[in-house]
Amino acid sequence: MSVENIFSTLEEKFGAKRETLDKWGVTAVVSGAYLHNVVQFLKDSAEVKFDMLVDIAGIDYLTYPNHEGPRFAVSYSFKSIKTPGARIRLKVLVGEDCLKVPTITDLYANANWYEREVYDQFGIVFEGHPDLRRLLNHVEFVGHPLRKDYPAQKRQWLSTNDYLLPELEKRLETLGYKVIQRSKEVEPNDDEFLEGSVKA
Amino acid sequence: MIVLDKNGEKLNLMPLNVGPSHPATHGCLRFMAAMDGETIVASVEEIGYLHRGFEKMVERGTWQQVVPYTDRLNYCSAIMNNIAYCRAVETMFGIELPERTKVLRVIVNELSRINDHFVCVAAAFQDLGGTTPFMYAFNPREEIMCIWEKLTGARLTNSFARIGGLYRDSYAGFEKDVLAALDSTEKALKDLHACLDRNRIFLDRTVGIGKISAEKAISYGWTGPCLRACGVASDLRKDEPYYDYETYDWEVVVGTQGDCNDRLQVRLAEIEESVKIVRQALKRLAPGPVDIVDPRIRVPAHKLAYQDMEGLIGRFKSVYEGIRVPEGEYYSGSECANGELGFTIISDGSGHPYRIKVRPPCLTQFAAFHELVEGGQLADSMAVLSGLNIIAGELDR
Repeated sequence: MSVENIFSTLEEKFGAKRETLDKWGVTAVVSGAYLHNVVQFLKDSAEVKFDMLVDIAGIDYLTYPNHEGPRFAVSYSFKSIKTPGARIRLKVLVGEDCLKVPTITDLYANANWYEREVYDQFGIVFEGHPDLRRLLNHVEFVGHPLRKDYPAQKRQWLSTNDYLLPELEKRLETLGYKVIQRSKEVEPNDDEFLEGSVKA
Repeated sequence: MIVLDKNGEKLNLMPLNVGPSHPATHGCLRFMAAMDGETIVASVEEIGYLHRGFEKMVERGTWQQVVPYTDRLNYCSAIMNNIAYCRAVETMFGIELPERTKVLRVIVNELSRINDHFVCVAAAFQDLGGTTPFMYAFNPREEIMCIWEKLTGARLTNSFARIGGLYRDSYAGFEKDVLAALDSTEKALKDLHACLDRNRIFLDRTVGIGKISAEKAISYGWTGPCLRACGVASDLRKDEPYYDYETYDWEVVVGTQGDCNDRLQVRLAEIEESVKIVRQALKRLAPGPVDIVDPRIRVPAHKLAYQDMEGLIGRFKSVYEGIRVPEGEYYSGSECANGELGFTIISDGSGHPYRIKVRPPCLTQFAAFHELVEGGQLADSMAVLSGLNIIAGELDR
């Protein structure tokens, strides 16, 4: 099967290891330093071109029985549209001391929101991400809820929604516009936050 | 805000907030647009208004207790999510389902797809100001809802699939009800096409609106009818067939333009294909068991719990400890109404899921929203939004 061949290429070129826990598909564990190159290889030069990023999932191994090694992992699922049925997963292990993974937003457009979600839920920072903000939780939220040490019953008072004006300016700049006079309400002031809330 | 455009011309743009309580955003989506008159120059989106912490909650229960949560992902086709989840876990167990279960799952899957597509097309029309198609589409939908009532006991959040089987077998007269629903589906399709295909207002509002190229759609990770509207024949039911979908006679529907009109027309055409599949599946529906016989996976029937020691133990352990899914990591994607619904499942071999990550099809589609609306008019953004069929339940989880 050609996905197996691709895995052996990854093994040779990038020192990828087979994830034995995935008994149903092919998962390669790669180091964060090589991630961008590996993804670029999968997208452009592998014999099966994985042109779609299906999902990015964060994993926290804190309470996993008999787990050794770094606490977090980021799992990337790819599939190929040109070769239907071909799928591969990549896994990057992330230690608690250095919560950093290179971004792949320049390769896949949807990596932007997926990486924001992993950052939101696990606090893993994607280096080089153009706009790393929370995605599902609101700006005032404190902590990272999908970590195993975040209590599920914990409540937080969230009073305001995202302040989208700075992002809108950023979007205008990427489209080739130049903002010469900012909108008056561009920075949130104290009145925007209700009493009792934690400021972002 | 005042900006200079590429030619150095001064523009006075108005930032306009749309949603989250705008009627067409269904209460859960918000975007901020920089308006130049009626034209959207730039747009940014915010989601998360319906975030309930699905992934955190499912870690607290057993594997079977995830099923009702999956109902609340895409609530327009709840059974489909149950089946997608159960299929993922069943693959980890390596279960071979009984023939009748497979056929029944295909039938309810496709009926859900019909339901979901009808809601999308009807709501798209409602948002554009047409109320008639809503009535046309909701007649057969109501018939399918009545089938759900009889079959599962609930209209919206059905929780019908179980790991290793189904909640229960179909009722007497199920086939007759389904056939009647299919007939009215076909009639509604005829009415809808008569209402839409040559409707000047509808065509003006949707043709060429919210266009996206196939390359861009793939880069954004689009799946399902929205990707197929761009001309990419990608359907997991054909590409990675399950439940014998490859043995049914049906076609993958593709569009040509990748605009708003194509996305709605592809959905209508997919309803036709689903009707074909259900008709064939009904002919295959032979009597037989719907559950696998393995007390470690599928809880034994009530009757056995009162008569048989093994049955009692099986029931007790299944409810209190949960079933033990083999240790491992697995990604499984199923073709749902909106596209590929994926579950990344991490199991540590205990009775509780260690981690389940949902890959909602809507998220990738809404992530490309700004690309679709920029350069168009504000009113077009509503046509685009409803054509994408964003279901906030699965978008925000």
